[in-house]
Amino acid sequence: MFSSNMKKLLTALAISSAVLVSPVTSNAADKGASSVEEGKKLAFSRSKGNCLACHMAGDGAMPGNIGPALIAMKLRYPDKQKLFDKIWGTPEAQNVPNSMMPPFGQNGILTDAEISKIVDYIYTL
Amino acid sequence: MKKTLLIALTLGVSVAATSTMANTVDPETDRQQLVDYFKAKSPNIEFQEYANGAYIYSADKYAQWEAAEEFPPYLDAIDAGEAAWNKDQAVFEKCFGSDVSKIRPQYPYFDESTQQVVTLEGAINKCRTDAGLKPYKWKKGTLAQVSAFLAYNSRGQKIDVKIDSEGAKQAFNEGRELYITPRGQLNLSCAKCHTYNSGRMARANTLSPNLGHTSHFPVFRAKWQNLGTLHRRYGGCHKNMRATPFKAQSKEYRNLEFFQAYMSNGIEINGPGYRE
Ligand code: HEC
Ligand code: HEC
Repeated sequence: MFSSNMKKLLTALAISSAVLVSPVTSNAADKGASSVEEGKKLAFSRSKGNCLACHMAGDGAMPGNIGPALIAMKLRYPDKQKLFDKIWGTPEAQNVPNSMMPPFGQNGILTDAEISKIVDYIYTL
Repeated sequence: MKKTLLIALTLGVSVAATSTMANTVDPETDRQQLVDYFKAKSPNIEFQEYANGAYIYSADKYAQWEAAEEFPPYLDAIDAGEAAWNKDQAVFEKCFGSDVSKIRPQYPYFDESTQQVVTLEGAINKCRTDAGLKPYKWKKGTLAQVSAFLAYNSRGQKIDVKIDSEGAKQAFNEGRELYITPRGQLNLSCAKCHTYNSGRMARANTLSPNLGHTSHFPVFRAKWQNLGTLHRRYGGCHKNMRATPFKAQSKEYRNLEFFQAYMSNGIEINGPGYRE
């Protein structure tokens, strides 16, 4: 009983601190082009985001079509934090049953800083 | 059609949620639901076409693949398999009988005495070691060639896996569990790629349907430039999921094969197959 509550608490802490550590406040313009460029590299790299495996994104070659095309992100995610959470994979953001979308932050595939850069990049799409 | 698909998908979800309880799924109901699911997803694809993997989803790729199958790169491997068979013919015939067209369709089966799934590859090597011969290496090489020779000789016969005991049902359910449970760093499951998203593209690869997955193994892959067994492919997919693969012929992969083969019942054996 105690241990299961403890576990829940720890997970909750881990998740909230992860999100807190990397609040997505400033916009792409403030961070300059470099974050966007780095984000693009991270998003396209097979060993990092590999987003093209499943999504059409920008000018990425041979995209898959398992997930929706990453376009008009600003319009669809006026709240940039929500976009960060979707890619990080917070419990509320994992709301599609049997989704292929990997929880990049939760499973330690990408660091919070890397996810922030990817968010900066796809926010330009 | 959208509605049917949605129902099928929600079914998948509720089944997945209760899957930790062993023996909750009746194999025949499960198989029928899978067939119905694929029928709803692609009404124009004939049942027997599911022997042909991802190619059924693209007329262009299907045509290219059919052309490749006219002078297939696996013919030498079938000859090599026949030569290996003939070399140890006396031993093999003691285990399997002398009619090479009757062997492939008997596998995989559930052995009641050991309470384990027996695969064709496993039986070939057991036959060898029981007779004091060296076992072949798993996954590729002579084992895949002998398996290809036997598959080739039973082309056109139908997959007919039987489940008629609690033990067999349990093995099916364990294989099914491995198939639908997300594993590895990417949080993927076999089902996410080969059931829910079959027909879609992962980069330039079309995802094949799990219905018919076992019909054409072993497979000659252009990428491998040789033949590989089903369990070699399982290991590759687990690596792509960033999950730790099981060993070829481990209990886990034998149960997975048992599950996948049962789900493909009624589909014609057409191994060995050529794949990109
Ligand atoms: C293995 C497949 C896969 C990979 C790799 C993948 N995604 Fe996804 N993604 C999906 C699927 C499927 C969905 C739709 C279901 C959902 O929302 O979970 C999705 C949804 C999304 C959404 C929500 C889209 C919307 O319309 O609301 C965003 C944003 C997104 N992905 C971004 C990314 C980024 C950025 C990457 C790379 C870092 C990435 N994805 C990698 C499969 C994938
Ligand atoms: C990230 C997506 C993905 C996941 C998850 C995945 N696979 Fe695959 N699999 C593929 C791709 C891509 C191919 C090559 C194209 C094809 O034939 O589907 C493939 C091929 C196969 C094939 C060969 C199909 C043929 O016609 O020759 C089998 C069998 C298979 N996978 C089984 C599995 C099993 C079992 C699992 C779970 C242990 C699994 N896959 C998990 C993507 C995946």
